[in-house]
Amino acid sequence: MPKLPRLVLTLAAIAMPWSAQTAAASATVSTEQVRAELLAHAPEGVAPGKPVWLGLQIEHQPHWHTYWKNPGDSGLPTTLTWQLPAGVTAGEIAWPTPKQLPVGPLMNYGYEGKLLLPVPVSVSPSFSGNALDIKLTAQWLVCKDVCIPQQGEFALSIPTQASTVMNAAAFAAAQAALPQPAAGAQARAELVDDAKALRVTVSGLPAAMQGRELAFFAETAGVVEHAARVTARWDGGSWQARVPISSQRFESPAQMQAVLVAPGMAAGTQVGFAIAGSWPALVAPGGDTVAAAVAAAPAAPTPPPMGLALALAFAVVGGMLLNLMPCVFPILSLKLLGFAGHAHSRRALLAGGLAYSAGVVLSFVALAALLLVLRAGGEQIGWGFQLQSPGFIAALAVLFTLIALNLAGLFEFGTLLPSGIASMRLRHPLADSALTGVLAVAVASPCTAPFMGAALGLAFTLPPLQALSLFAALGVGMALPFLAASAWPGLAAAMPAPGAWMATFKTAMAFPMLATVVWLAWVLGQQTDIDGVAALLAVLVALAFALWAWGRIDSSRFARAAWSTLGVLLLGVTLAWALPSWREAHATVSPPAADARWQPWSASRVAALNADGRAVFVDFTAAWCVTCQVNKRTTLGNASVLADLEAGRVALLRADWTRRDAAISAELARLGRNGVPVYALYKPGQALPTLLPELLSPQVLRDALAAP
Amino acid sequence: MKLRILAPLMLGLSFAAAASFAAPAMVGQPAPMFSATDPSGKLVSLADFKGKTVVLEWVNPECPYVRKHYDSANMQATQKAATAKDVVWLSVNSTHPSHFDHKKPAEMAAWTKAQRAAPTATLLDGDGKIGRSYGARTTPHMYVVDAKGTLVYAGGIDDKPSANPADVKSAKNLVNAALADVLAGRAVAQPVTRAYGCSVKYADS
Repeated sequence: MPKLPRLVLTLAAIAMPWSAQTAAASATVSTEQVRAELLAHAPEGVAPGKPVWLGLQIEHQPHWHTYWKNPGDSGLPTTLTWQLPAGVTAGEIAWPTPKQLPVGPLMNYGYEGKLLLPVPVSVSPSFSGNALDIKLTAQWLVCKDVCIPQQGEFALSIPTQASTVMNAAAFAAAQAALPQPAAGAQARAELVDDAKALRVTVSGLPAAMQGRELAFFAETAGVVEHAARVTARWDGGSWQARVPISSQRFESPAQMQAVLVAPGMAAGTQVGFAIAGSWPALVAPGGDTVAAAVAAAPAAPTPPPMGLALALAFAVVGGMLLNLMPCVFPILSLKLLGFAGHAHSRRALLAGGLAYSAGVVLSFVALAALLLVLRAGGEQIGWGFQLQSPGFIAALAVLFTLIALNLAGLFEFGTLLPSGIASMRLRHPLADSALTGVLAVAVASPCTAPFMGAALGLAFTLPPLQALSLFAALGVGMALPFLAASAWPGLAAAMPAPGAWMATFKTAMAFPMLATVVWLAWVLGQQTDIDGVAALLAVLVALAFALWAWGRIDSSRFARAAWSTLGVLLLGVTLAWALPSWREAHATVSPPAADARWQPWSASRVAALNADGRAVFVDFTAAWCVTCQVNKRTTLGNASVLADLEAGRVALLRADWTRRDAAISAELARLGRNGVPVYALYKPGQALPTLLPELLSPQVLRDALAAP
Repeated sequence: MKLRILAPLMLGLSFAAAASFAAPAMVGQPAPMFSATDPSGKLVSLADFKGKTVVLEWVNPECPYVRKHYDSANMQATQKAATAKDVVWLSVNSTHPSHFDHKKPAEMAAWTKAQRAAPTATLLDGDGKIGRSYGARTTPHMYVVDAKGTLVYAGGIDDKPSANPADVKSAKNLVNAALADVLAGRAVAQPVTRAYGCSVKYADS
């Protein structure tokens, strides 16, 4: 490129974004956002050894701000480029104490209102002249909702022999706002929590700061997480703070400086400290340290590195508790039916129990394998994920309708299924039991019992083999009560003897199945819309018609074929209509309206509320999670509980996981959980929330609130 | 053979690790997954680009620092150089709809066209989910995800934090440098740097 056009281009580019007038340099530059003026202070004239100060005064329009030396998460510090005669040199800006300027989830450090950035000037004996001519090019970034980079050219001349004191007050004010090195203060710092935080201890701070809440401003950029809350306490006369390190730190200083400011103080106190401990590489290595990082991450409520044996034990207990979860109730009826049917033979019972256990365990293992595969594929999903997909919900609704219609006697499996599978179901009670086991797992998966959460969290930090064995242990736990009952006929014998009541019982069992379909339709409605639900109901009607047609054993072969063809056609047409309406809704659907007390959850909202000194209770929930709904009715809707929460100024946030949500998945993972419900109480100044049991009661919630 | 078995395991592990840091993504860790729509309404997912190197660029057309790099054609040149090497470039706009810098999909598409920008796709992240998951603080804020899905670079477009377009010439383009390292199979020499610019216009809470 020829030289001239490039120069012109560059000049044009410079001129465009900068609104400051650069034409005739004077001491003042005004823009719509600021009035900037070059000031000087030389009470004893300009001569070697005499105090000489220059400074840029910036008067911001209301709500506009410029930045400190460390601007925080965004922004840039103001820069001053001096042109001074030989023998005169300007020093660094003596930055006044900044303010915290939060913008959304970010944190900036800077100034509003009237600001003077003073610069000390040193004069050497080689300088001579009657006047000191000063030229300054200043660049600043001024921001409100938007940011405008501006530049100004300033010129000023002051006499060397006379005193310049017009702006003595402004320089005095700037001096008063300058962070002061605390005489006698001792500061030290060490890296803690795998270098995720800096523990800073400062003793000997001025009396005016003692016992007060102090703001921490790191002078070094690129180290701390500016927006994160610094938790601090006073231990006697020493201030101890935990300062979170930025996850995208780009500096690894051995020493740091920071300014501590008590509320209402014009000038903060400057402290410097060496950092003990060694910084890890900027790049967190992948591979083997990942598992360690996960274990060390503040995850499960139990101490981090949970041994495998302990995890397996937890998994077994968690699995057993699954039987008590409300969402397993419909399937319990099926199990009961199976029991009564085989009550005649102890051997058959035990075999059935074992087959059921095998079904449960295999399903858990299969689910875990699927989850591992999907995770590897990068799907942002967690436990209970199947129920986040409308297609899967619809498929479950169809399955349950099928079971209900079978129980009600609309058709027999023998007539529906070609001989092989049907007779397998009829003649092989083992296969039947195994199938029941599979079904039990499918229904239980969204409800994670208390111990399951921690176990699941660990499962994904383990190699697949161990993770799978953990899930197998969950399965064993879930099957255990049933297996025990089949092994000890004492329990099974307590069942009523088989008889005519069984037919009645079987028909009656159709209704809990249909109730489950109602629940599934409601869930689908939450995920899609009324069209999706209508489509599901139409498919179910078509399904019922097709089954009825198929099941007409009494009619002639031709009539049956005709009816069946019609049924299948009808089913095909409704499915073709229904399938598109079950597509997964992405960003288009707004979250279901929260009731007035509950606000939608976001991590930054929790942080903001905590920063206001308010405790936050978060209900991680989903429409498809029955345990969640039960807790909502019994505890979270309880008037006296709500009154208690209100009295404690506890903010209520609801994280709805009905649909896939990466942010919620991530927070659940941080808490060491993979499923809902999770109830978390975030208290100000605590990095991790208190996790409440998954089966809530008003008393449990009150105890958690009362705890310190 | 052993590697084959290990790969999904590593992915699974690293994914769990990524998820457990609710707070922003870390370089050296798996990049957070996301899906978002482009101005035409098409859904674009990070997962679509498995096996490819992906650059994420936080953009806000109204931000002077973004303009610095577009008016000087620096960003477009970086985009073209990257996409010519089969690197995927996603420009992400996380400006919240309540902010007056917010661009409607059609406006964003028109701006991209007018700038002769060459991203693989422009993503609309009005709720700021992607921005927050990556810890994007400024526009521009640049990230590089390698073919294995690991975040290998986070930081500035270059090493001269200023609004002066003239500085583009003398600055070191840190994205080009990171991509050169990644494509050569080296570790990125400067994996985390200072991102400078306007704040990302997230919602207030």
